Amino acid sequence: MCNITKEQVLDSISTVIDPEVGFNMVELGLIYGVEIDDDCNAKVTMTLSTRACPLHQMLEQWVREAAERTEGINTATIEIVWEPAWNVTMAADNVKQALGAM
Amino acid sequence: MFNISRDFAPPIKIIEPFFIIGSIFYALGVLFLLFLDPSSGHVDLVTVGWAHWFLLGFVMMIIFGAMAQLIPVVVEVGHFSVDLYYIIWPSLLIGTLTMVVGFWWMPYVLAYGGLLVLVAMVTFLFETFLTLKKAERITLTVKSVLWANIFLTVAIVIGFLMALAIGEGVVLDVSKWLGAHAVLVLGGFVTLTIMGLSLILLPMFGLSHGFDEMPITRAYQLMVGAVIAYVAGTVIDWSWVRWIALVVAFVSVSFYGYQIWIIYQTRARKAHDIYARTMYVGYGSLAVALVLGIVTLFVSSEQVILSAAWFLILGFFSYLINGHLYKIVPFLVWFERYSPLVGKQKVPMLNEMLPERKAEWQFWFTSTGLVVGGIGLLFGSSSLFHGGVTLMVVGAGFMLSSVLSMLSYGKELNISRTENNV
Repeated sequence: MCNITKEQVLDSISTVIDPEVGFNMVELGLIYGVEIDDDCNAKVTMTLSTRACPLHQMLEQWVREAAERTEGINTATIEIVWEPAWNVTMAADNVKQALGAM
Repeated sequence: MFNISRDFAPPIKIIEPFFIIGSIFYALGVLFLLFLDPSSGHVDLVTVGWAHWFLLGFVMMIIFGAMAQLIPVVVEVGHFSVDLYYIIWPSLLIGTLTMVVGFWWMPYVLAYGGLLVLVAMVTFLFETFLTLKKAERITLTVKSVLWANIFLTVAIVIGFLMALAIGEGVVLDVSKWLGAHAVLVLGGFVTLTIMGLSLILLPMFGLSHGFDEMPITRAYQLMVGAVIAYVAGTVIDWSWVRWIALVVAFVSVSFYGYQIWIIYQTRARKAHDIYARTMYVGYGSLAVALVLGIVTLFVSSEQVILSAAWFLILGFFSYLINGHLYKIVPFLVWFERYSPLVGKQKVPMLNEMLPERKAEWQFWFTSTGLVVGGIGLLFGSSSLFHGGVTLMVVGAGFMLSSVLSMLSYGKELNISRTENNV
C-alpha cells in the first residue's frame, strides 16, 4: 500500500512552469489526472495547450522528473492525451484573470 | 546528463545567421529606399533590384530560418536533415547580393546570382518536401506549406529564366512573365506560407481554441486556385483569366482576414504586448493593401500599385516577420541556453528576454514611417515618402539592435547542446 497522495505529486509538478505564459502546468489545467499504484509508481495524464507546442518533449520530461522528485515515488510515467482538448476554462482563476480571460 | 530528444528545435547556430543577415538586409533595404525615386515604375530595374534585395535578403532569409524551427512544430515531425540549412543561407546571401548587383549595375552577373539563389531554394525545397513526407497528420497547415513550396519551385524556375533573359539574352518575354513570377512568390509562396503558419502560431500565442476554420479553408483553396489560374492565364496569354485570378486572390485574402478576426475574438490571452501590436499593424496594412489592390483592378495608376505593394511588403510581410522574431528568437535562445537549467536554477520567462524599450522605439518609428511613407507614395509626394522612410530607417536600426540583443541574452552562460550530451 502506498501512502503518497495525488496532491503531493501535483505539488511537485506545480514547479514546472511554461516559459511562454509564465504559469505552472497545474494551474494552467494541463494536468488531467494522477494515479498512484500500490508500489508508489505514478501515472500522470496530461495535455498541452497546442499539439504544435515546440516544448512538447521537454515539458513531458520536466513533468516526469518533477513527479519522480515527490518523496516516496519510485517511477513516473506520462501519458499525453488530446481529448478533451485544453481550453482556458480549465485553468485556475488566477491564470484566467492574469490573461484577461475573465 | 541531458538526454531528451530535441527533434523539434534545431540548434541556434543553424538559425542565427538567417536572423542576423535578414535583419541587416531589412535595415539596409529600408535605408536604400531613401535613394529610390517614388515616381519610378514598379518594373524599373532599380525598383526590381530593391524588391529582390528586400524579398530575398530579408523576407525569404527570415522565412527560411524560421522554417528550420517552425516546420517540425507545425507538421509534428523532425527535420529530414536540418544540416542542409548550412547550405541555404550562404547561397541565398551571395546569390541575392550578386542579383542586386546585376539589376543595378551589371546585368551579365544576374544569371550567376540567380543560379546561387536557385541552389538555396532547391536545397530548401528538397529538405522541406522530404520533411513533409514524414508528416502523419495532413492538416491544412501541412497542405498550405506543401502548395507554397510547389509554387516556389515554379517561381524560381521562371525567375531564373527571366534572369537568363535579362543577363544572357535568352529569348523570353520578361514583361509577360514578371506578373506570374510576382504572383507565384507573393501570393503562392509568401501568403500561403503565412496563412498556414498563422493558423498554428496565432492560436498558440493567443491561446485561442474551438474556433471555426471554414474561412481559412476557403482562403487556402481560393489562393491555390488563383495562383494556378494566373499562371495558366499567362501561359495561354488571356488577360481576362489573369484579372479573374487576381479577383479570386483578393477574395481569398478577405477570407483570411476574416479568419484572423475570428482567432482574435476567441483568444484567451488579451495582452497588447509588442507582439500583439505588431500583428495589429501588420493585419491593418494587409487590409489597406487589399483595398488598394482592388482599386488597381479598375484604375490604372502606378501610384496605387506602388502604395499597395508598400503596405503589403513593408507593412504586412515585414510586420508579421518582425513580430514573430520577438517570439521565435527569445524561444530559441531560451531553449539553447536555459532549458538545460530548468529544475536546477531560476530561469527567465520568454517575455523577460525582450529588449522592451528598443522594441517600443522600433514599433513607433516604423509604424509612423509606414503610414507617412505610404501616404507619400499614394499621393505622389516625394518629401512625405522620404520623410516616412527616414522614420523607418531609425525603426529598422532599433529592430536590428533588438534582434542582436535577444540573440546575445544569456550568452555568458556558455551552455551548448554538445556539453549537455544531446
